[in-house]
Amino acid sequence: MEGNIEVLKGAIALIGYGLGAVGPGIGIGIVVGNAITAMARQPEMAGTVRTTMFLGVALTEALALIGFVLFFIA
Amino acid sequence: MLAAQEHHCDVANEVICAPANVKDWFEFTDPWFTIGPINFTRTSFLMLLAAAITVGLLYFGLRRNRPVPTKFEAAIESLVGFVRDGIARDVIGPEGTKYVPYLLSIFMLILVGNLFEVTPLINFPITSRMALPAFLSLLTYFIFVIIGFSKNGIHYLTDIAWPKAVPVGLRWLVGLIEVVSTFALRPLTLAIRLFANLVAGHLMLTLLLGSGVAFVLAVGEIGPRAGIGVVWFAVGMVFFLFEVFVAVLQAYIFTLLSAVYIQASVHPEH
Repeated sequence: MEGNIEVLKGAIALIGYGLGAVGPGIGIGIVVGNAITAMARQPEMAGTVRTTMFLGVALTEALALIGFVLFFIA
Repeated sequence: MLAAQEHHCDVANEVICAPANVKDWFEFTDPWFTIGPINFTRTSFLMLLAAAITVGLLYFGLRRNRPVPTKFEAAIESLVGFVRDGIARDVIGPEGTKYVPYLLSIFMLILVGNLFEVTPLINFPITSRMALPAFLSLLTYFIFVIIGFSKNGIHYLTDIAWPKAVPVGLRWLVGLIEVVSTFALRPLTLAIRLFANLVAGHLMLTLLLGSGVAFVLAVGEIGPRAGIGVVWFAVGMVFFLFEVFVAVLQAYIFTLLSAVYIQASVHPEH
């Protein structure tokens, strides 16, 4: 185990993914929270808001998923 | 899932049967047969199967235009209507009808490919191999770039690289960000989003369900501790339901983003 660079690399990649997931986590929270506020204020706009919400979630989520892929590449 | 039993799993010490190498759980490199330079593996068979199912569903669902459709035909028609009205016309506008065939085919193919993940006896999402998401995202990429140039000429490029709405001093910076995000990040994130979601889901299901099976099968060696396998299997079944939702959602999001990118090329000012 000692001096095993592969184990160390895996651990660092894991930490990197964890750090990479923080920002998108906050971002998705903001997107969905504001979408819920908008739907509660104007229920007749719920369809449009939901489509836009999925778009925002998808764009934000991409960053976390790139971190996930890099974890396997690293 | 069956690989878990062939794979060495130290049920006495591990809590979840982690594979020694992730590739062991994914690769089906043994070709079934070879035609010329092409090795025909299980994955390529599943891709052809997904294409056949997509074509078959659409053909048999829309073959006859009956006044009273059967249940199957009504289901297919509502899917087509969802893509046409909910995605194409809603996002692109009235001229979105022109792009319905493309959006419908990628939606159906990705949906079938994703749902392979939760289909018993198949249990392998073909979209968790980079080839398919990368190909589909390149297709979308070429379509929106070509539409952008054919609708707006060279102004498509200049409007992105030198945006008129931004103060002069910042135009080079915003233009640079826009060029990188439009021409490099869009196809990359489109492919990686689908790919990584399905890999993550498949990996999670394989670990949980595979651990469950391995622990329960080892009941003779480890005694009552095999009960942990039941717990892992139950957690895996919960994630199974969640993955059905993810499979449908990712097909929707891929199609929706394709429509949004095409819309940005049709009406670049918005």
